Amino acid sequence: MSSDVMLVAHRCQTCGKVHYPRHDRCLRCKRREFDEIHPQGNAKLLTYTAIYSLPCGFDQPFLILGVGEFENNVRALGQIKTDSVKRLWTGMVVKAEWGPIRFQADRIVSGLVFEPLE
Amino acid sequence: MREVAIIGAGMIPFGRREQDELMDMLATASLIALDDAGLGDTSVDAVHVANVGGGMLQHQSAIASSLTDRLSLLPAAAETIENGPASGASAVKAGFLAVASGYYDKVLVVGGEKMHDISAPRATDFVAAMTHPQAEYPYGITMAGLGGMFARLYMEKYKITPLHLHAVSVKNHEMGALNPYAHIKSPIVPESVFEGDFAEINNPIVADPLRLYDLCPVSDGAAAVVLSTVEVAKRSGRPYAVVAGFGQATDTHTLAQREDPVELKAVTLAARAAFDMANLTPSDIHVAELHDAFTILEIAISEHVGFFKKGEGGEAALDGKTCLGGQIPINVSGGLKARGHPLGATGVAQVAEIVWQLRHELPPERQVQNAEVGLTINLGGFANNVLCFILKRVQP
Repeated sequence: MSSDVMLVAHRCQTCGKVHYPRHDRCLRCKRREFDEIHPQGNAKLLTYTAIYSLPCGFDQPFLILGVGEFENNVRALGQIKTDSVKRLWTGMVVKAEWGPIRFQADRIVSGLVFEPLE
Repeated sequence: MREVAIIGAGMIPFGRREQDELMDMLATASLIALDDAGLGDTSVDAVHVANVGGGMLQHQSAIASSLTDRLSLLPAAAETIENGPASGASAVKAGFLAVASGYYDKVLVVGGEKMHDISAPRATDFVAAMTHPQAEYPYGITMAGLGGMFARLYMEKYKITPLHLHAVSVKNHEMGALNPYAHIKSPIVPESVFEGDFAEINNPIVADPLRLYDLCPVSDGAAAVVLSTVEVAKRSGRPYAVVAGFGQATDTHTLAQREDPVELKAVTLAARAAFDMANLTPSDIHVAELHDAFTILEIAISEHVGFFKKGEGGEAALDGKTCLGGQIPINVSGGLKARGHPLGATGVAQVAEIVWQLRHELPPERQVQNAEVGLTINLGGFANNVLCFILKRVQP
């Protein structure tokens, strides 16, 4: 995984549950103390979709998105760099990068981008 | 806690209502429900309005105050209730609790949405605003996109095929064609929608694996109900419905954070609470309105409520068990799929439909014979806030 992925997740100091996005109390044990962690390694693709009816702000025919689970249990939604869902399957390994995901208010917004490795 | 009756129900046809402003729709549905309740010029104690997009789409806030004035229901208390696509059921819940507590005797609940004031990409963006602002929304996710990711997992895990999804779609379109309030009134011709050379054109992918005919339309519309004490209901001398059970539960905002993303935990918990309160089980339900924003959701919810075991909802739909006359008729109104899904109106419309079913006043082609108990499930977000009502018929 590229080291400059800016995504910050949180691991509960008490029970170890990993949270992304941020929670102020642990979903499992309800404690409030967390360590900040970053996604580690590659991710396993849990599910994905190609969206053809896009919201405003996306000037393209379709967008492929999926949920990846990293080696340290961080789960997050990201865009997937591929031209067809036919090249994807659940459980496949993807590499994560931090890159442009959309234009908003005349600026580039960056986020998680997955690239299939298989 | 006092027993709560539903003494009036009203709706306007859902669809593309370019001639109407949001307030026109809310007012019309309200007046129909008030007349149906037989309240005449008597006022109500409170008005609860369910709406999601008034502020974002019509640039109008404090809608309940405005509607209460327009209907000359002053000085009734007035609240606007926003809870995403579950706003309607949340408004009914607020009315139910107010009457049950003994604070109010009569409450008007109305839900409405005007979604055709804007372009399709803006409407998609408006609905996507309920996704997580950092972890989901910036990526371009839509509700249909979440539905697609959920469908892929659910279909893989429970061996659901497109044929199962088609069965839901065909059934709901067939029923919508019989419902004067439905947005979509055209039955599906499977040969042209699902099969043949033009299937890809007629039924394109919207959010893989979900296709156009798996999704509810974007609709304008409004629905209303009037809640009261049982004493007020008895005076009418005609059958009415009472709230026998209610339950609500929440789940994580993002689909990704759920331990098992195909588990609709909030649906199970909300339904369980409602069944416990009503002292009933799923086999006691005669008719149900489930939140089928996507065909896969009707199947998944029917299992999570307990009508079918996990993995059997698809076959049940294919076998006709959820049709009128089947084991448990689901979405005899056409559901969100065909009646339409004006966000704030949906939860109220579900309750109104069940009230009509329990009063036995629908035409034979839509009436569930001898319906005595009905259930509704209204989802907020992607099943992260779920409300369940169980209504029971009372013959005075």
